[in-house]
Amino acid sequence: MNDQIKAIAELDRVIHEPGRLMIVALLYAVEKADFLYLQHETGMNKGTLSSHLSRLEEEGYVQVSKTFRGKVPQTLLRLTAPGRKAFEQYRRKLKEAF
Amino acid sequence: MDPLDDLLRRPKLYGNVEGAGELGIGFMMLAFALLQWMQLHTPRNSVWNQMYTLFIFFGLVVLIIQFGTKAIKERITYPRTGYVECRTQNKFPLMLFTFVLAVTSAVMYVCIRQHWNLTTPPALLGLVFAASYAFGFARTARWKWLVVWVEVAGSVVIALLPAHVLGALAEHSFLTTNFPASVLGAALLSFILYGTLLLISGSISFWLYLQHTK
Repeated sequence: MNDQIKAIAELDRVIHEPGRLMIVALLYAVEKADFLYLQHETGMNKGTLSSHLSRLEEEGYVQVSKTFRGKVPQTLLRLTAPGRKAFEQYRRKLKEAF
Repeated sequence: MDPLDDLLRRPKLYGNVEGAGELGIGFMMLAFALLQWMQLHTPRNSVWNQMYTLFIFFGLVVLIIQFGTKAIKERITYPRTGYVECRTQNKFPLMLFTFVLAVTSAVMYVCIRQHWNLTTPPALLGLVFAASYAFGFARTARWKWLVVWVEVAGSVVIALLPAHVLGALAEHSFLTTNFPASVLGAALLSFILYGTLLLISGSISFWLYLQHTK
């Protein structure tokens, strides 16, 4: 197996899914963002976004916290250190592959 | 551009998604123009020409921009398109930019002192301003490039205006004992031009944002 094919095979499948890749890339550039921002930027509906976030949370890549902004409930999302590392590694592997 | 790079820079541009940044800088420039106008058209011992007024005025302008931007974000932007907290950035590029700007200003000041009748440097500072606008704001929307070109054209027009026309804006001011009237006039006209352009561009951005979001 040559290096390029090996790099493709080693891509993180959790991040590689297009919807989750968008979420991780957006969260990588910020300290934290709320659910509404991700929904607006990715164009996903609440259900799809929720399911992708659950998968990322399960993997330990995203930290979800529920707070209030005034009287309005707010879901804040933050990329964890392993999530950040996984995204950096994913980008490196992707560059190696192409 | 790599689609991933595009996604990574989106949160940075989100800070001005509703035009609050442009409105803030536009307001600040027009406030400076107002202060300069008052200083030019009042006597030396007037309250407008005291150092403490300068500090109070700048303090008030900064407070208005700070609280105004916060109010727009909390009441309009966050409920419509969400909240983002940006990462703390590497301060080195900003420090380098400030240093280069300070050195450029010092060099230009020396040039102006040597050629007191020069009106071009203050007006051409507008080109630096247009470049900053292009980098900071115009990348988000194609129509904003029109503002960049108007800024560039405005700077060139101010630089080419005859000295007596620019000087008329600062005539009879006691400040002309230290600075040529034409240089003061060019600076005042530049502040009014860029402040107005930014307010217009910020208002259009704000209106478009309200139209496209719920």
